[in-house]
Amino acid sequence: MSHPESLKKLQQTLESFLERAVGQKEQRLSVLEDINRLDNIARNELGDTTGEAVGEWFARHNQQLEQGDLRPGDIDRIGRILHEIKDGFNRNAGSPEGRKIASEIDRWEEAAQRSRRSVTLKRGPESKKPEDDSISLFGKTLARASGLFLEMSAGRKHLLSVLGESLKSAEIQKNREALLLSAFIIYYLKSGGYKVEPYVKRLREAERLQKEASSYA
Amino acid sequence: MLKPAEKAYFQALAALKDKDYETAAEQFEKAAPFFEQNEEFGILRKTTRLLVAVTEELRKLEKEESLNIEESFSHG
Repeated sequence: MSHPESLKKLQQTLESFLERAVGQKEQRLSVLEDINRLDNIARNELGDTTGEAVGEWFARHNQQLEQGDLRPGDIDRIGRILHEIKDGFNRNAGSPEGRKIASEIDRWEEAAQRSRRSVTLKRGPESKKPEDDSISLFGKTLARASGLFLEMSAGRKHLLSVLGESLKSAEIQKNREALLLSAFIIYYLKSGGYKVEPYVKRLREAERLQKEASSYA
Repeated sequence: MLKPAEKAYFQALAALKDKDYETAAEQFEKAAPFFEQNEEFGILRKTTRLLVAVTEELRKLEKEESLNIEESFSHG
C-alpha cells in the first residue's frame, strides 16, 4: 500500500470512529445543543428578542426535565444560565413579558428541585436492589461529588475558589452533592489549619435552605 | 452563563456532528486546559487532531501530485 493510500485508509478509519462516537451520543448531544442555545440567548446574541427566545426555549424543553433526560450537571448549568437571564430581566423590571419569563424561570427552578428530590427517593432505602445498599449509594454520591469537583476546579488556582463555587451551587441550585463537597473541602482545609468559620456559616445556611426546600415536597 | 471551556466543548461536539473536523479540533484545543483529565474528551480531541493532520497531509500530497503532472506536461 502506497503512502497516500495508507493515509486515505487512516482518514476513513478515524472519520468512521468519530461518526460512531457521535452517533452513540446523539441524545446527549441534543441536550448539550439545547444548553448551548440557551447560553446564546443569555448572552443576548439574539438582541431584543431575548424574552421571546426564552419563551420558545421553555415551550420546547420543559418536558426534558420531567422526562429525566437531564443530568445533575445539566440541571446546574441550565439553572445557572436561567438565573442570569432572570437577573437581566429584573434589572429591566416592569415589562409584562419580563415578569412572565421570570415567573416561568421560577417554575423551572422549582421543578428542578423536585426532580433532584425524586432522584434521591428513587435511590432510597425502600429499594430492594442489592446495588442500592448504603455502601453503593455512598460510592455513587462520592463519584458524583468527585465529578463536580473536577468540573468546578477546572481553571481555578486555589481550593478556596472551588469551595466558593461549590457553596454557591449548594445555596442557589440547592445541589446536595455540592453541599457534601463543600463540607468535605471545609474539613480538609480545617485540618490544614485554615480559618474556615465564614465558610462553615455559609455551609449551614446552604443546608438550611436545602432543608427548607425539601419541606415543600 | 456557560464557562468558556464548557461552551468550547459543546461547540466542538456540535462541529463533530456536522463533520466540520477543523472547527471541532480548534474548539477542543480551547476546552483542553479544563477538560484534559476527562478520558472521553481526550480520546475525541486526539482522534480529531489526528484526522485533521492526516487530511492536511493528504491535501499536500494531492497538491504535489497535481504540480508534478503540470510539470510533466509543460516539459513534454
